[in-house]
Order: sequence, then structure tokens, then C-alpha cells
Amino acid sequence: MAKLLGSPKALSITILIAAVFVVSILGGALGNSLGFGFLSSSLPAIQLPAEIVVKGFDTPIGDWDLMNTMVTTWLAIIILTLVAIVVRRGISEVPGRLQALFELIMEFFLNLCESIAGPVNGRRFFPLVFTIFIFIVVANWMGILPGFGTVGRVADPAEIAHHHGVHHYADPAEHDAHQSASGHKKTSGKHSGHEDDHSGHLDSVNLHVFSGTGGLAILQPGSLSEELTFHDYEEAHGDVGDGKRAGHLVPFLRSANTDVNMTLAMALIAMVMVHYWGLSILGSITHLGKFINFKEGPIGFFVGILEIISEFAKIISFTFRLFGNIFAGEVLLMAMGFLLPMIGIIPFLGLELFVGVIQALIFSMLTLVFASMASVAHGSEEHH
Amino acid sequence: MDALGINLPGLITQIISFGILFFILSKLLYKPLVSLMDQRAEKIREGLEASDIAREQAARSEEVIQEQLAEARVEGQRLVVEARETAERFREEEMAKVRDDIEQERVRAEATIQRERDSAIEDLRKEFAGLAISAAEKVVRTSLDEDGHKDLIESVLEESTSGSK
Repeated sequence: MAKLLGSPKALSITILIAAVFVVSILGGALGNSLGFGFLSSSLPAIQLPAEIVVKGFDTPIGDWDLMNTMVTTWLAIIILTLVAIVVRRGISEVPGRLQALFELIMEFFLNLCESIAGPVNGRRFFPLVFTIFIFIVVANWMGILPGFGTVGRVADPAEIAHHHGVHHYADPAEHDAHQSASGHKKTSGKHSGHEDDHSGHLDSVNLHVFSGTGGLAILQPGSLSEELTFHDYEEAHGDVGDGKRAGHLVPFLRSANTDVNMTLAMALIAMVMVHYWGLSILGSITHLGKFINFKEGPIGFFVGILEIISEFAKIISFTFRLFGNIFAGEVLLMAMGFLLPMIGIIPFLGLELFVGVIQALIFSMLTLVFASMASVAHGSEEHH
Repeated sequence: MDALGINLPGLITQIISFGILFFILSKLLYKPLVSLMDQRAEKIREGLEASDIAREQAARSEEVIQEQLAEARVEGQRLVVEARETAERFREEEMAKVRDDIEQERVRAEATIQRERDSAIEDLRKEFAGLAISAAEKVVRTSLDEDGHKDLIESVLEESTSGSK
């Protein structure tokens, strides 16, 4: 240690790191309670469902809205398509660097598929397995880029209240403006009525303060000290300062796999394809015989029922394993950015890169394993 | 379901999105790249097989060459032996011939010598008879019948030769 501090270069680096650490502690959420907190913004409102970027249209099966996870999904698809086009254009017997990289990854998966499912079935399963892997990796890694979860539009208090089940929330800012035009007398009465009805729903919700009134907003450094509750907001009659507004950030981009719809979609596709392969490789009687089994007596029948349940369990575990991991990662990054801005997030970025690959690998490998299991009849397993 | 954010339109949208991605990647990436990789693997396999065959052929031709060399060596040795035998035989034949020639020559020479000697002896005898006659003539001074003398001398000589023998 003494040797390390003896060199002027090492000493200055150590001091710099210590200084950054002190600044980040003081600027973060911990420093905020001491009256600093100049770096930290409010912890963004964390919600499980994806946020709506643009209101869509009604369909017979529900409202279709443009979600921020859809935007990310399409971005990932566009990126992969562009890469595929570049590779396709430069394809040659002697591979270039990009082609060699793809051949390396594809070779790995192709060998894996062939070793697990056999040469014929491996070739059959490979496209889906590889697509799942590459999409999840790209989507997960995109999710930790700057700008994800931090740039978006501002949802006003009425929209937030709507989200929390209060459907007729009167925004005091607009309400007061209306009232001041036609007289001031009934204002307080109306307000108290609202608070009595809905305070239970909205008490725990904090509002964040954004400057500017444009369509684009980010959580600003130091905005944590300006955070206020719904109650404060109503007390202040919607006035949070000059040129500022209260609300929640609705990010335009959010990691695609933090939406249950995305992971459920992939899980459904994977399991449907697994059973399609099971049906086409084994024939419908053999494959369905695993689930509806009258031949081996009541125990066989019961095992069949268990198999059916386990197939649904697979969909659910697929869905929530990926969703849970990636969503937790996002929350972790947000919380670390909130507690220790600048440096707290760095080790966790590495962790998220790792988790992103591992989850992609798990999803694709499980698809492959389920597919190869579905393509083998039960009886033949016992003969092995 | 609402609290989790599952809604049917969103789910269907994501299923379609993933399906589109699957379709695009299958068409653009997997099919061409996998077939390319297969082709390359096939090519490499063929190349390896071809090199195996070439190595085998080389080994086989090496063997053939060795065999031929061995054959040639044996043949050469056989030829050398044969040549040596031939030469030996030839030498012996020649020697025998030469020996015969020499023998014949010797025999002929001996015969000639015999003849020469005989004739010389004859001549000498004649000469000697003449000399003896003249000597006797001179000694006895008697003119005897020449034929009577001859007979006398002849008999003397006969005696002397038989006596010398």
C-alpha cells in the first residue's frame, strides 16, 4: 500500500477515485438527507407494466397502445436486420470479420443443437433457438444503454391518478385556473372531497418535478430535493415553481424484456413450436399419448395430467425468469444511480451485461432441451 | 393480469414482431450462412480425402520403385555372375586351345628335329664313309675294289654303332 501511494501517479489516481466517491455519496440520495443531493434525481416511478408512449386505438380485444417496450423491440429487430443485411451482402467463402463472428456464434449453437437433439432435429431446432438467443442478447444489452428509462415524456398527475385507479382526478393546476376565472369560493370544498375519496390510493405516490414544458423530458440531477407528494401538490394548488411541472417520467425506451408481453410472447412461440415439432416428429398419437394416457392404468393417466400441468408451468417459468431477471436489473441500475450517482452503477453495468447473456442462453437452451425432449417418445427413453 | 401489464393486443404485437424477426433472420442469415458453412466443411473434407489419396498413391509408387530397384539389383548381380562364368569358361577354352596348339607345335617340332637329325646322321655317315675311304686309300695305298671297301667300312660302322649302343 505504501509503495502504491509512493508513486505520484498512483497517488493522484487514488485521490481522484476517493474524491469522485465522496462527491457521489454527497450528491446522491444519502447526501440529500444532509442537504446536498445535487447529483441525484428522483427515483423514477417503477411499475411492472410497460409505459404507454402514444395512445393507440381501440380494438375488440382491448386498447392497442404504443408501449415503450414495443419501440425497443422494433429497434432491436431493425438493428438485427441491418446487421443481417450487412453480413448477407459481404458473404463469401473466405469470411470477413463480421461474418467470422457470426459464423463463430452460429457454429457454437449449431454444434450444441446437433449434440443435444441429433444432427437432423438439431438443424430443425437451430433457427428458433438462435433467434431467441440473439434477440434476447441484443434487447438486453440495448436496455443498459444511456437514454433507456431516463428520456421520455411527462405524465401529468391526472394520468398518474388514472393509473392508480382514480378515474376522475381534477388536476388542481388546471382546476384552479378555471376557478380563478369564475370565482374562488368553492375551491377548498371540492378539493377536500377528492382527498377524502382517494387519498388512500394516492398517498404513497410521489410526484417528480421537471423543468420546461416541451414533449421531451429527463430526470434532472438535483431534482430529488424537489420531489413532492400528491398531498403537497394539492396544497400548492398545482404550483411547483416557475416553468416547472410535476408528474412522472414516461421513458420512450425501456428494455424489451422488462415487459411481460414480450417474454410471454417468446415463451408461447417456443412452447408452440416445441409441440409442433413433437407432433410432426413423433406423430400426433405418440406425442399426445404422453399427455392423455389410458394405456398404463390410472397412474399413467395421472402422470399424463401432471405432464399437461408441467407444460403450462414451462410457459410461466420461461416468461417470469427472463422478465424477473431483466426487470430486477433495471431496478437495480436505477436504485444504484439514485444512491451513488456516477460510480455506483459501474459494477452493475458489467453484471447486467453478464445477466443479459446468461438469460438469453438459458432461454434458448431450455427451448432446445424441451424441443429435444418433445421429439423423443417416452417408451424409447426407458430403453436407453 | 393488468397489474403485470399483460394485455392481448400488446402480446399479439410482440408475437408478430418476433415472428417477423425470425423470418428475416432465417432468410437473410441462417440459410445462406449455414449452407456456406456446410459447403466449406464439405470442401475441407474433400481436400483432406484428396490429400489422403495422394499420400497413399505416393506410398504405393514408392513401394513399386523400391520393388523395381530390388529387382534390378538382383538382375544386375545375376548378370555379373553370369558374365564372370562366361569369362571363366572362355578363358579355360582359350587356355585349352593354346595348350593344344603348343602341344601340336611341339610334336611337329620334335618330328622335324628327328627328321633333321636323321638326315644329318645320314649325311654324316655318307661323309664319314667317303672320308674313311679316302683315308683308307691313303693309308693302305692299295687300290681295292671300291665296293669291297664300302662293305668293309659299312660293317665296321655297323659294329661301332651297335657297340656304342
